[in-house]
Amino acid sequence: MVSELFKGLREEELDIEPTICARCGFCTFVCPAYLDTLWDSQSPRGKLFQLKDLITKNKAIPADFAERIFKCTLCGACEEICQVNIPLLRFWQLARGEIATLGEWPEIINFIDNAIQNSQNIMDIDQDDRLIWTDMVDDLVEGRVQKQAEVAYFAGCNISYKGTLAHMGENTVKLFSHLGIDFTLLGENEFCCGNPYFVAGDFESGTKLADHNLSELKRLGVKTVVFNCPGCHRAFSHEYPHLLGKEAIEGLEFLSFSQFVLRMIKEGKLSFTNQYPHVVTWHDPCELGRHQDIYEPAREVLRAIPGLELREMKHNRNRARCCGGGGILKGTNPVMSVRVSGRRIEMAEATGAEIMASECPSCTMSFNDGMEGRETSIVFKDLSQIVVEALDIE
Amino acid sequence: MLKERQLTELADIVGEDYFSSEEYMRKLYSQDIAALPGLVHDLLDTSVSAVAQPTTSEVVANLLQYCLKERIPVVPRGHGTSGYGGVLATKGGIVVEMTRMNEIYNIDRENMTVEVGAGIIWGKLIEELEDEGLTVAAYPSSAPSSTVGGWVAAGGTGIGSTKYGGIREQVVDLEVVLPDGQIIKTTKAGIGLFQGYKGLDYMYHPGTDKYQWGPSGHDKPGDDVTGLFVDSNGTLGIITKVKLKIIPLRTIQPMVASFRSRKLMIGALKDILEATRPFYLHFITNDFYRMLGEVDKAPETIGEWIVLSTYEGSDAEVAGEVEKFHHFVSRYGGTVESDEIANHEWAERFYPLRIKRLGPSLAPSEVYVPLEHLEEYLEHLDRHFKGEKYAVEGAIDDLGEVAALAWFLDDERRKISFLMGWYRSLDFIKLGLQHGGRAYSIGMWNAGHSLSFFGRKNYGLMERMKSQTDPKNRLNPGKVFPASLNLSIRFNLLILLVATIAVPVVLWFAGLLVPDLIMAYVPWLMLQDVMSVFIAMVIGLLIGVVVVEIANIVPITFLLAIGAHFMRLGRRIFKGSK
Ligand SMILES: Cc1cc2nc3c(=O)[nH]c(=O)nc-3n(C[C@H](O)[C@H](O)[C@H](O)COP(=O)(O)OP(=O)(O)OC[C@H]3O[C@@H](n4cnc5c(N)ncnc54)[C@H](O)[C@@H]3O)c2cc1C
Ligand code: SF4
Ligand code: SF4
Repeated sequence: MVSELFKGLREEELDIEPTICARCGFCTFVCPAYLDTLWDSQSPRGKLFQLKDLITKNKAIPADFAERIFKCTLCGACEEICQVNIPLLRFWQLARGEIATLGEWPEIINFIDNAIQNSQNIMDIDQDDRLIWTDMVDDLVEGRVQKQAEVAYFAGCNISYKGTLAHMGENTVKLFSHLGIDFTLLGENEFCCGNPYFVAGDFESGTKLADHNLSELKRLGVKTVVFNCPGCHRAFSHEYPHLLGKEAIEGLEFLSFSQFVLRMIKEGKLSFTNQYPHVVTWHDPCELGRHQDIYEPAREVLRAIPGLELREMKHNRNRARCCGGGGILKGTNPVMSVRVSGRRIEMAEATGAEIMASECPSCTMSFNDGMEGRETSIVFKDLSQIVVEALDIE
Repeated sequence: MLKERQLTELADIVGEDYFSSEEYMRKLYSQDIAALPGLVHDLLDTSVSAVAQPTTSEVVANLLQYCLKERIPVVPRGHGTSGYGGVLATKGGIVVEMTRMNEIYNIDRENMTVEVGAGIIWGKLIEELEDEGLTVAAYPSSAPSSTVGGWVAAGGTGIGSTKYGGIREQVVDLEVVLPDGQIIKTTKAGIGLFQGYKGLDYMYHPGTDKYQWGPSGHDKPGDDVTGLFVDSNGTLGIITKVKLKIIPLRTIQPMVASFRSRKLMIGALKDILEATRPFYLHFITNDFYRMLGEVDKAPETIGEWIVLSTYEGSDAEVAGEVEKFHHFVSRYGGTVESDEIANHEWAERFYPLRIKRLGPSLAPSEVYVPLEHLEEYLEHLDRHFKGEKYAVEGAIDDLGEVAALAWFLDDERRKISFLMGWYRSLDFIKLGLQHGGRAYSIGMWNAGHSLSFFGRKNYGLMERMKSQTDPKNRLNPGKVFPASLNLSIRFNLLILLVATIAVPVVLWFAGLLVPDLIMAYVPWLMLQDVMSVFIAMVIGLLIGVVVVEIANIVPITFLLAIGAHFMRLGRRIFKGSK
């Protein structure tokens, strides 16, 4: 048993990284978890220091430390700034994997695990209800479920099952119809993308889901998959090839909503003519920005909308602060998550914008929670909402 | 170790959420950036009993008063980014970490100053000032994580120092809590503070709670003693507020040139410094640049000796300087590299430790050397450190000195050779001094250089104040003013055990070799029965106690000075061993 400790980190030769850490502390003042407490025990530097000791002494991660490792949004800000280029995101994922092998996962993750095992989605709701989000656009999706088509929309569990997020899927479907795109939905064959597992460090369980989703898409002849959820998007474009090899995703391309809209604009298939006289500030979702280096498409889309003024927050693009929703923090530490989102909302308010926009169900939940009960004039809107409003499509 | 009662009372003073005595927290806050060889931890136990994060100057004052009364050593800490041992405890006690005192109190555009809490991070201050069209004139390359108070206390030069000087030149005024809990403003305290301090003529008014009281400061005018607190490593007081000079935010233009040889690069550096006024003039040696290449951080350049010269000022001023720069680079056969490379190097100014990945450990060392002597110094280093993997960079300050920084690649997992490798950091400084240089920062490891670093007069004043405000040396002991070793319990026990066993063994041997001699002069030392063995062991134990007592008063600086010779030799023998 003892020699099995830190197996994941050792296999990927990341067990040396805590020794490589220079302790410069650059990662501290960008880390939402550290900034929440100002205690180094909560910072990447502090956690690496403690892990260095445990790894060299081959000791198991104690329960209180495991809890702290899960007080992390996997925002990737630490990796971005790191003095010695430690692949910290992967490192935190594997550290969580280590916690999984010790049987110390937080309760909420055990719940999600059971839910996925039972019902292929994070909510433990029957897969028959996968398309519940299409209720308001049922006419637009009629005949589209599991049809052969080159474009697929992958909604993901959050948008599929959480009523407050359904509008994102509705908007995308409206836009598809507006553009006359022949698209397909996987319906009850859309399984969880596996992101919760990747976030919790259990890659093996994610593999089955990856396998299933990819073969479904291939079966339907899909070439392009569009996502509103950067978590799902990242799972498909980064984790799947990591797990199954690059060949597994050959012939498929994965586009975020903003990338898709921008392509339509560039191909001359979409243009904005109506005035949309609002000041908007853009929040880069971590899983799209830092994790995948996609920063500009959304900005280009917003700039293409007449009347819309885009104002940047002080920390934008690769320096954007986290919404507080990543890394399942919303589940493991909901109060802390709201505090983190509050700090980001403050930055948005400082720009004087009326709308804080992003493209991510997790950010949407975080900011809506953060704005609840807060005296603020700023509202949050998903990019899909702005696009649909600007185009005035029903 | 502190008593339970003391921990509770300290937590009461600072606030429960801002106090921790948990083991992992104590370990975390007993470190700076340098990895220490295992044996050093045995010779010098750096552990502390608790960590406090005060939120106001008054809380700091209350903490210090309490610690003085209870005889608890205090180690001030910014964000622990220094590597000179300044934040390592030498006598246990508590760490007082300042990052919660991070406010910007006042931006004074008329006098161009900003007043901040000592625990604010440079990066945050710079960002906030930028919103106002302002900036600081100098900042350390650790700006994304180091505190303003930490740099004031540790001293040094950084980005902007070629034009505007180091942190010493930036500080206008400090609020300091003296070891006895008095809060002073350094511009108003007067030289008397250092000449014959018997407590200020004002006292605090006790509040309602036992240790909750606040100051009623009426400051005294007098000579400015602000400078005496710079570089003092928190030995004279805890800095709580800092007033700094600021400058308008203007154009910044980084330029990079590469050269084919050391000689050409140094020639160009001298001329550039003479003919232009760079904001930041910095160089990297060819070895360093190659190592950067190994971690993919060295864009392709014509030469491998790299100079970064950054200009700051109005557009017209900057354009004029850039033109001159081109001229001097070509005079030395150098190449002015592309804007892309210049921007890359400018962005990399915060990343001096990139090459640590090649270690995985790095032993750093830093010393000021006059630019005129740089060439001989670098040549000397080459000879002296033949066969060692190391990289040198340097930044030139406003006095024409080079802050030369060396990074020795090492592997702390090879315990013996890592320990022996320590001599290199000490020798790098020693050679620098031989070439007319001076110590960079004192902290703990350089405490042996304090006298020459501060100058006899200032050091005398500092010593005097220390002995009057903190006679028992509780505030950051071992820094600036050399202190003795603090052996770990493990090591103390080891000495006792070895002595207890060694004495009977030696006597037994002596009994075999020279029995007549012993019987003639000290017959009672002859091991004859169980009782005599027991007595010998007791004698051994007593000798052990004496050795422990003596070892615990050996000055660290003394040990380093004599240890360097052994380590140099040992390194040759053990290099490459596990
Ligand atoms: C990547 C990197 C780059 C660096 N670049 C530079 C550079 O360009 N120039 C340079 O000079 N140094 C540099 N350093 C060293 C270090 O960052 C500086 O010395 C820095 O100013 C220390 O700040 P800190 O807040 O981390 O202080 P700490 O390391 O926590 O403390 C330093 C010393 O100051 C004392 N101290 C801290 N705060 C207070 C206070 N409020 N009151 C009294 N005493 C206090 C401590 O006891 C200690 O003796 C660099 C370090 C790193 C890791
Ligand atoms: S991923 Fe984000 S929250 Fe997690 S340790 Fe890094 S900076 Fe902190
Ligand atoms: S930024 Fe990287 S090297 Fe610096 S403390 Fe954080 S993890 Fe370590």
